[in-house]
Amino acid sequence: MRASTKPILAARRRRQLHPFFFRMGPVGLSICSVLLISLMAVLYLSQLGQAVTTNQEIQRLHRQQATLAREDQDLAQQIAQEQSPVYIAARAAAMGLVPADPKTIIVLVIPHLKPVPSDDQRLQP
Amino acid sequence: MNGEMQRARRRQMFIFLLVTFGMLVLLGRLYYWQVLQSRSGYNLAQQANNEHLQNQVLDAPRGLIFDSAGRILASNIIRDDVYVEPEQFSVDHPNGDPQGELQTLITALHGALPQVATGALQKAFRDGFARGQWAVRVATHINPAQSAALRNLQLPDVFLQPRTWRVYPGGTLAAQILGFVTQNDTGNQGMYGIEKQYNSILYGTAGSLTAETDLQGNPLTLGATNEQPAISGSNLTLSIDSNMQYMVEDALAKTVKQLQAMSGTVVVLNARTGAVVAMAGYPTFDPNQYGQYANQLGCTNQAGVYFNPAIYCVYEPGSTMKAVTMSAGLDQGLITPDTTLNDQGCMSFSDKTPTVCNWRNLAYGTETMTGVLIHSANVGAAYVAHNILGTSHYYPYLQKFGFGQSTGIDDGQENPGSYRQPGNPIWTMSDLTRQAFGEGIYVTPLQVAMAYQTIANGGAQMQPYLVSSIQGNGHNANTRPMVKRQVISAQAAQLLTGMLEQAAIKGFAQLAQVPGYSIAAKTGTATTVGLSTNQTVASVAGFIPASNPRFVILVKLDRPQNAIYGSTAAAPLWGHIAQQLMWYFNVPPDAPLQLNG
Repeated sequence: MRASTKPILAARRRRQLHPFFFRMGPVGLSICSVLLISLMAVLYLSQLGQAVTTNQEIQRLHRQQATLAREDQDLAQQIAQEQSPVYIAARAAAMGLVPADPKTIIVLVIPHLKPVPSDDQRLQP
Repeated sequence: MNGEMQRARRRQMFIFLLVTFGMLVLLGRLYYWQVLQSRSGYNLAQQANNEHLQNQVLDAPRGLIFDSAGRILASNIIRDDVYVEPEQFSVDHPNGDPQGELQTLITALHGALPQVATGALQKAFRDGFARGQWAVRVATHINPAQSAALRNLQLPDVFLQPRTWRVYPGGTLAAQILGFVTQNDTGNQGMYGIEKQYNSILYGTAGSLTAETDLQGNPLTLGATNEQPAISGSNLTLSIDSNMQYMVEDALAKTVKQLQAMSGTVVVLNARTGAVVAMAGYPTFDPNQYGQYANQLGCTNQAGVYFNPAIYCVYEPGSTMKAVTMSAGLDQGLITPDTTLNDQGCMSFSDKTPTVCNWRNLAYGTETMTGVLIHSANVGAAYVAHNILGTSHYYPYLQKFGFGQSTGIDDGQENPGSYRQPGNPIWTMSDLTRQAFGEGIYVTPLQVAMAYQTIANGGAQMQPYLVSSIQGNGHNANTRPMVKRQVISAQAAQLLTGMLEQAAIKGFAQLAQVPGYSIAAKTGTATTVGLSTNQTVASVAGFIPASNPRFVILVKLDRPQNAIYGSTAAAPLWGHIAQQLMWYFNVPPDAPLQLNG
């Protein structure tokens, strides 16, 4: 039984040293390995570089977003301030406007005008 | 050969033992750091992570507050705080500061922040060096131009920390309704008013960011990151209208100053829904600078100026309470508007209840119930309460109208008010007769306004409210007007409205009249025990238009000096506010117009 397995093991060893589709000596194999490792390193470094650049871009966009959000809030605040009746009244006074005197209001009486119905219905329990 | 082999083996053994010893030493050291030291809280892994991992709390912006027309009443802005780093400066300058870089830094910082004195900056660094502090805040809430200038300068050992601040674009507008927010390093907290009442809803949910950082401490988006975004607080929409609120506040402030009154309050309600249209107090404060008002008192010195006087400050309402007394009699069918009494100016009671007199002891002879309201006769009101209603038919109505209990309005701290009633050991019949015309009972302006809202709304009292909707952060709720209780019958309310109309036309509320509109109103002038009789609380309560009530208005002035009666001090302001409301909301006139010229 032992004698019969020897040729099989020998063939396997040969295949391990010389794959059937790729025949290369030790020097060639070393050069190829170095080249492959170098290539992988270059790829890795290139990808890392791109990632770093992308990260910086994302950081820049985050900062820009924060700045814009702040500007947005400031503008909303400014609009709110200028829409406030306190501000409008102060501006009107500064422009020389004065509140209307109820006695100067002219009321036009239209005979037989039907009053506008109120939509405000009484609420019952 | 054997000797050589043995020497070689000995060498091998020596090397093996040396390596083994080294390994054991390393293992021992590893056990020391990883097991023994970790038990004493010295977490190496955590420390290593802290070197390059950043945990950041993301502040949730506080919810906005809008008025009924969508105008912003409270919002947020982001402003920077400025910090210096004394300890970092020491690390960067291990051999002292021979070049005078600290002074250069301070000069540059002062140039960008002129409001921070050079001495203050020097002190910040000095104290920081002494205490080994990494960061000392030297300025808060700097303006955007200063932030930009500091960023451009890129000063070493100085950094900016953004912080969200609550702002109120209208300044004092609706301040006592809104309250304010205190800011500190851990967050914000609503104080007083809506800000306090709805603090948990406005607050939002803080987020977090855990990320690896670069050398500058910027979070890397690559690698292990975990971000929980902050969720803004819910937005609130109030029932008040900014324009009307401003008009009311402005008119109240002018009147208080003109009459040299101590303070004043105005409440405007939607007569049908109970929604607050405007609610003003004077004096008031600016929530953007609330700290400046810490020692100022409102509420006739009963409480701080931050409290909303319409719901917190109690007073004796005076003759405005006569409408409540009449409503109890009308609802139970015990009186009609035409029921009469003989009014001799003063009235004595057979059960030794103290005598009640009219103002200046004026006698009106045979007087109807409508006449009692027109003349604002104390005798008539006391007669109804004492001789017709009695305790069993009077006090249940005080309860039903909501006196002595909180209205449940959604605006912070509310005072329920108080009054003596049977069962109280010191209650007497004198309390009954005096309460009938508004003495010996302590109420808030909102409670009186709600009593008149009840009359205006056919006897149905609504639940008053300020917040009409809550939106965002999981909330989507609109307030539906809710009937609290049917206090009096619709018929009684209608009869009383007619009586109050007559009281406004022929009585003391004539200065409150609005051309083209019918009003139902009653004046009140209350004096306070222990004070001179000219130290009054002048008020008017009523609604407009009387034929189809839209708004309930209550005006109260505390201790006016130049005119002391409800009819002369409060009525003109009531009329002005009523007229503005009619024009602003385009309410059609319901009464004949009296044209001038």
